[in-house]
Formats: sequence, C-alpha cells, structure tokens
Amino acid sequence: MSVYFQVEEYHRPQNLAQAFGILSKFGNGTKVIAGGTDILPLRPGVKKIDPINHLVDISRLGLAYLKKESDHISIGAATTINTLGASPLFLTRSHRALSEAADAHSTATIRNRATVGGNLCTASPCGDLALPLLVLDAVLVAAGPEGKRYVPLESFFKGANYTALNKEELLLEIRLNLCSQKTGSSFLKLRRHQTAIDMAVVNVATALTFKNNRCEAAGIALGSVAPIPYRAKKAESVLAGTKLSKEVIHKAAATAAAEATPIDDVRATSAYRRKMVAVMVRRSLENSMRRCNQ
Amino acid sequence: MTKVDIKIHVNGDWYELAVNPGERLIDVLRDRLDLSGTKEGCGEGECGACTVNLDGQAVLSCLILAAQADGCTILTIEGLQKGLELHPLQKAFVGESAVQCGFCTPGMIMTAKALLNNEAEPDENSIRKHLSNNLCRCTGYDRPVKAVLKAAQDIKEDSNA
Repeated sequence: MSVYFQVEEYHRPQNLAQAFGILSKFGNGTKVIAGGTDILPLRPGVKKIDPINHLVDISRLGLAYLKKESDHISIGAATTINTLGASPLFLTRSHRALSEAADAHSTATIRNRATVGGNLCTASPCGDLALPLLVLDAVLVAAGPEGKRYVPLESFFKGANYTALNKEELLLEIRLNLCSQKTGSSFLKLRRHQTAIDMAVVNVATALTFKNNRCEAAGIALGSVAPIPYRAKKAESVLAGTKLSKEVIHKAAATAAAEATPIDDVRATSAYRRKMVAVMVRRSLENSMRRCNQ
Repeated sequence: MTKVDIKIHVNGDWYELAVNPGERLIDVLRDRLDLSGTKEGCGEGECGACTVNLDGQAVLSCLILAAQADGCTILTIEGLQKGLELHPLQKAFVGESAVQCGFCTPGMIMTAKALLNNEAEPDENSIRKHLSNNLCRCTGYDRPVKAVLKAAQDIKEDSNA
C-alpha cells in the first residue's frame, strides 16, 4: 500500500442526495474529491494535517459542463480547468481573464484533472481562477440537504483553505453574468519561472466597463498578497467615473499596492510582492482597457 | 478499511482488482500489474515522471486514486510498442539521442503521445509548452523537442505511405 496517501473509505455516490447523506453521516474527517490534484498531495502522517477518513468522489455526478443561458454562463463545479481554458465562451473581451487564468494554472497535465470548483473550494490564497471570477462578479450555487443557496464569490472565501460551505454542502455551479460589449478583462500571473509549474508570487485580474467615455465599473482582484483572494475596493474606487488617464491608472495601482498585506515566504519577500502588485495591476488595467474597445 | 472493486483497461487488457481506498493509480500500475516503466518522482504532481494517458489525455498517475480510474482506459509506456516494433515516438527518442538518465523519458513520451492525439503536427512552441510538464535535468529539452517533431513527421509520412 502507498505510503503517500491514506484514507479509510472511498465513496462514489450515484446522485446528490446520496452525496449529502454521506457528508452528513460522517462529518469531520470527510473530504470531497473531484480531480484529486489538491487532495492527493495531502499526506496525513507525513505532512501535519488531520487524517482523512472518508473521501466523497463527486466527479461522476454530472457536474462537468459549460452552458450559455439567456442571461448567464453556468460552469459546472467539476468542469476541468483545461475544458474551461479551451472553451470559446471565455475568449470574448469581457471574459478573457478567465481563459488567461486557466492557461496560467499549473501544467496542462494537472489541468486535465483539476476542476474549477476544486480550485475555489481549496481556497488557496493564490488560487488563479478565483481572481477573474471575482472581478466578473461570479455567484456560486451551493447545495446541501436543505436545498440550494446562492453565494457571491466575494463572500465565499473565509480564510486560507476555509470557505463559506458547510460540512454537508457541495459547490454545484459557478454563474457569470454575460457582460456588456464595453467590458474588457485581463489576468496576469507573476511566478519565478514563467513557463513552469509554480504558484504565483502575485496574481491579478481586472475588469473595466466603459460607458460614454467614462469608466462605469472597475474590478481589481488580488491574489497571493493576503490570506484570501480579494477585491481591492479602494483601488477600484479610484477608477470609477474617470476617463482612465495614465495618472489615474498609476494611482489605482499604487492604491492596490498600499491595500495589500503580503507576507515573506519561499517565493518572494513581502516588499517585493507589494511592488509587484503595483506593476501587475497597472499592466492588467492597460490590457483590460485595450479590450474594452477604448 | 473497505476495498474498492474496480475494472480498468490497461494497454489493451481489462483488469478486475480490489484496491485500497487510498491506493493511487501509479501504485496499481507498478506494484500490482508490474508495469514499472511508469516512474514515480516526486509523488505530488510537480515532476511529471508518472505521466500516463487516461482516456487519451495525459494525466499524472500519482494524483489519481485507482478507485477514480474505474472504467477508464489507460495507456502506459509499455503499451506503445506493437510486438517488437517500437512506436514512432520511442524510435525518435532513441534516434535523436533524447534520452540521458532516462528517468523522465516514459513520462515525457506519454505527454508527447497525448499531445499528438490532439495535434497531429504541433509546432515547436506547443511541444515545449507541453514538455514543460515533465522535469528533465539531463537533456536541456532540445533533443526531446526534436524527437517529438521527428515523430510527428514520421507518423504523417507513414499514414501517407
């Protein structure tokens, strides 16, 4: 038997009701698995984490889909990141950030298994997909034994590796509004080796909407510089209502850097991360501006 | 601990096995089926040495539970050759001297195999991007990239012949 990964029971529910039943019955020590790329590297006994007693496999519950509805796009939680990255739905100016983030996530081999829902539920401070979904105002559809509820992504992350989902709940779907023609978005990721697998030093997504030559709405999301990926609200307010001059963009970038609370770690120092926030936010805003046809 | 009954199709044969819930696909391939061509490097998804094809896609066998592969078709490095005839990718890796220590080679070839399933004629950029999934500390990647280009060309010529 593998010394690497250990678990007492593997469950593959046939439908959601069975999945909720297993989650309710076993409670603590139960983990949901889809692609498994975040779960399998966990090694209870080798790494300092609690033992996993039960695994609930949700990869065969029909949760892998991309659908364009009349007023929104639905992404099934078990959709792989490569499926998302290959979809023409996210090559539009407004949703390009999502496609860019999918492409920047880990390696193609991992992305064949890693899922969109898994990337959100792992709730890593540097999760790539969270950022474009934050600036595109994604709403999550969660469900449990008591029924469905809708959670804005902004209130989903509660701390590093900790989300708003209850123990009996599953993330089913991610919903995105169809944006106006005047919206442009962009994602950028700084890592130590730009081609290779590595987590971000700093990652950033921005979205801008133009109306009558003014910035009607601005979104800036920052990753790897706080316990959770978050919207830099002060920096966003610098942009709203302006004509997005060079000076305004520089000011927003500086504001985002001042708002960030990065730490020192093996990838970079706090000071470097803060400087790079300003650079990455500026570059991403410039990309978004170009895409919103200005 | 409850065993999980699975049925997997590996290199052309079906296997019915009762696996432990925590057993990974690589453990089944190497320890139960004696297919030790698939290598384990890091065991946590960084190095790509354990890459196999699952339903035609390149995946890391150290990051998949055997239980999750139930019903799937798996191709490993041992399944590439037909009889004594090596696969064009294997021939090209030999011909271009793209192998040094060889530990990353099975994974690299399986990554390339999945790439060629999707893109019959990948350009150098695409090959480099895909081979970046596989850590190699010997070759510097130039020869493996040439080998994949050569294999793609050979496969095209064979199909035209």
